Amino acid sequence: MKNNTNYLRFGLFHRFCHFLIIISFFGLVLTGVPLAFKGYGWARWLYELFGGYPTAGYLHRICALITFFAAFVHFIYLFYNVSVQKRKGFFWGPNSLLIQPRDVFDIVGDIKWFLGIGKRPNFDCWIYWEKFEYLSLMWGTLVMAITGLILWFPVQFTKIIPVSVAGIIDLPSIALIVHRYEAILAAGFIFTIHFFHTHLLPEKMPVDEAIFTGRITEEEFKHERLNQYKRLQNQRQLDNYKIAPPSLFVSFLTRLFAVPILITGLIMVGLMFSALLVWAI
Amino acid sequence: MVYKPIKCLMKVVVSGVKRLELLTFLTTCVTVIILSPAMLFAGDNGPCIECHTKPDKLKVTEKAKIDPVTGEIKVSPMLIDEAAFKASAHGGEDFFCIDCHQDLDGKDVTEGHKPNLKPVDCITFCHDDPAEDYLQSTHVKLMRENSKDVPTCKGCHSGLSYHYTPLGEKSPLHRKLTIDACGSCHQDYLNSYKNNAHGQVATLGHTTTDVPVCFDCHGKHKILNSSDPESKVGKERIMETCGSCHANANASFVRHVEHPQIKNIKYYKTVLAAVKNARSDPENLKKVIKNPQTILCIVFVMYVGILAFTFSAFGLHSLLSWFAVVRDEFRRKEHGDEEQH
Repeated sequence: MKNNTNYLRFGLFHRFCHFLIIISFFGLVLTGVPLAFKGYGWARWLYELFGGYPTAGYLHRICALITFFAAFVHFIYLFYNVSVQKRKGFFWGPNSLLIQPRDVFDIVGDIKWFLGIGKRPNFDCWIYWEKFEYLSLMWGTLVMAITGLILWFPVQFTKIIPVSVAGIIDLPSIALIVHRYEAILAAGFIFTIHFFHTHLLPEKMPVDEAIFTGRITEEEFKHERLNQYKRLQNQRQLDNYKIAPPSLFVSFLTRLFAVPILITGLIMVGLMFSALLVWAI
Repeated sequence: MVYKPIKCLMKVVVSGVKRLELLTFLTTCVTVIILSPAMLFAGDNGPCIECHTKPDKLKVTEKAKIDPVTGEIKVSPMLIDEAAFKASAHGGEDFFCIDCHQDLDGKDVTEGHKPNLKPVDCITFCHDDPAEDYLQSTHVKLMRENSKDVPTCKGCHSGLSYHYTPLGEKSPLHRKLTIDACGSCHQDYLNSYKNNAHGQVATLGHTTTDVPVCFDCHGKHKILNSSDPESKVGKERIMETCGSCHANANASFVRHVEHPQIKNIKYYKTVLAAVKNARSDPENLKKVIKNPQTILCIVFVMYVGILAFTFSAFGLHSLLSWFAVVRDEFRRKEHGDEEQH
């Protein structure tokens, strides 16, 4: 008999934020990447597909506003939980998304496991690369937002720079270069590292449904985050997280949504990589 | 520039009176009076179109021409797309082939004509204003100083851009072709233009008047060095030039680097040379450091480093974790099988 116990991993808020980020991130990538790879036929095709100039630019800005909104509600959520609800564990402890001392041991343990000289380390609520992804998303959004706004309002931003400095530091040009290569970094990172670490693992293929349905099975919980499982068991809180398994319909919808998105991302990274190859050869 | 026969006639009259070359003036008047009824009837493209739309009636359908300036070999079609020609800048009702190809004026062409016609004279009767602007430009001055062949009108305005541009200078096709025309000599500037915010959109194929091309900033025919007070990109007029698209362009905004050298190996070499000669020539190093291009290059190189490091480190991590998962799975199965036996 298969164990059908499920636990809640992501609440509605987190699932909603992830959904917003997917929509806005793909919108931004599909309308923005053609500009960085302007010399290639596929870039022109993609740019035309989204309306060309200036429509693609407007779509890009609308998606940027969705990203700002997602970042805004995320920080409101943090502020509400930390300051109003006085909940602990956001900045320190096993539930925190910030780097903890034990992450260093986890990295060493993981390298040992890769080389075959140790067992797979047991992780807690967040694995070190998940923390890295979260923190780089925060940092990347900040960089992209600032440089994007400079490119959106170049005249207003240069006003705050004295003329003598403007001759040495050209704000819009720096913003363009940072925006372009940070975008390639972000798109490349999400479409390879995030996809292959989370969704396209041999054990998850094709998609890790947890972020869409919010649930993980007991088996997955024990396999991936044994420390958290044991901790909750000892605190006798495990039962609070028990939840009915996702309905077939929800599972189906998840795949219907996520699989095309994953394929789109992989195609994008393939095209970007092919451009690198063309340039290198 | 729209072709206006009356205007051209007036120009001839005015220039004749101005120069007091009475004889020339009178001769012109007499010629015009005698020829005007003939011109009314001679205005027919029929005989030209008769052959130049049908490949089987032409001895050659394409001709290779060597550009006198660049030495480039261009293939010019001898076939004319009549509809496209009608829609072009020179396709108006009162415009005829022989107005430009004047050596065929009055000739009987039913049996064909001599193979190589005289080069078309664009300047004398119609486009004398742009020609004058062009001859005053730094473009021409510098080329003459360095005893280089100065491009003729057709050096830039040739082929498709000459015949088939329905909107004239505002046509996206024409604007796109001007980028290629300028870029065919100014390769480095074309490449750096493609790397900036304006050029990347133009490279994607959007060259409407919303996207600036070379001549929007540098001027059309009177292209002047930025040290010239009349230059569109010089200190005196740059605010006006940028301001024509970016309302309220300020003094800091116009210091923008339009041609980033981030992908130009030559710039990196000059920076390295300046660093090497820092002791003997500190002034040069200061100049390089104060050049806004240097910061752009540093940011670019930094990002290339970040990209290379991130993708190699995390790529390796993904690969290893994949292998480790598969290996564990394999071992577990093998182990499980042994237990069963």
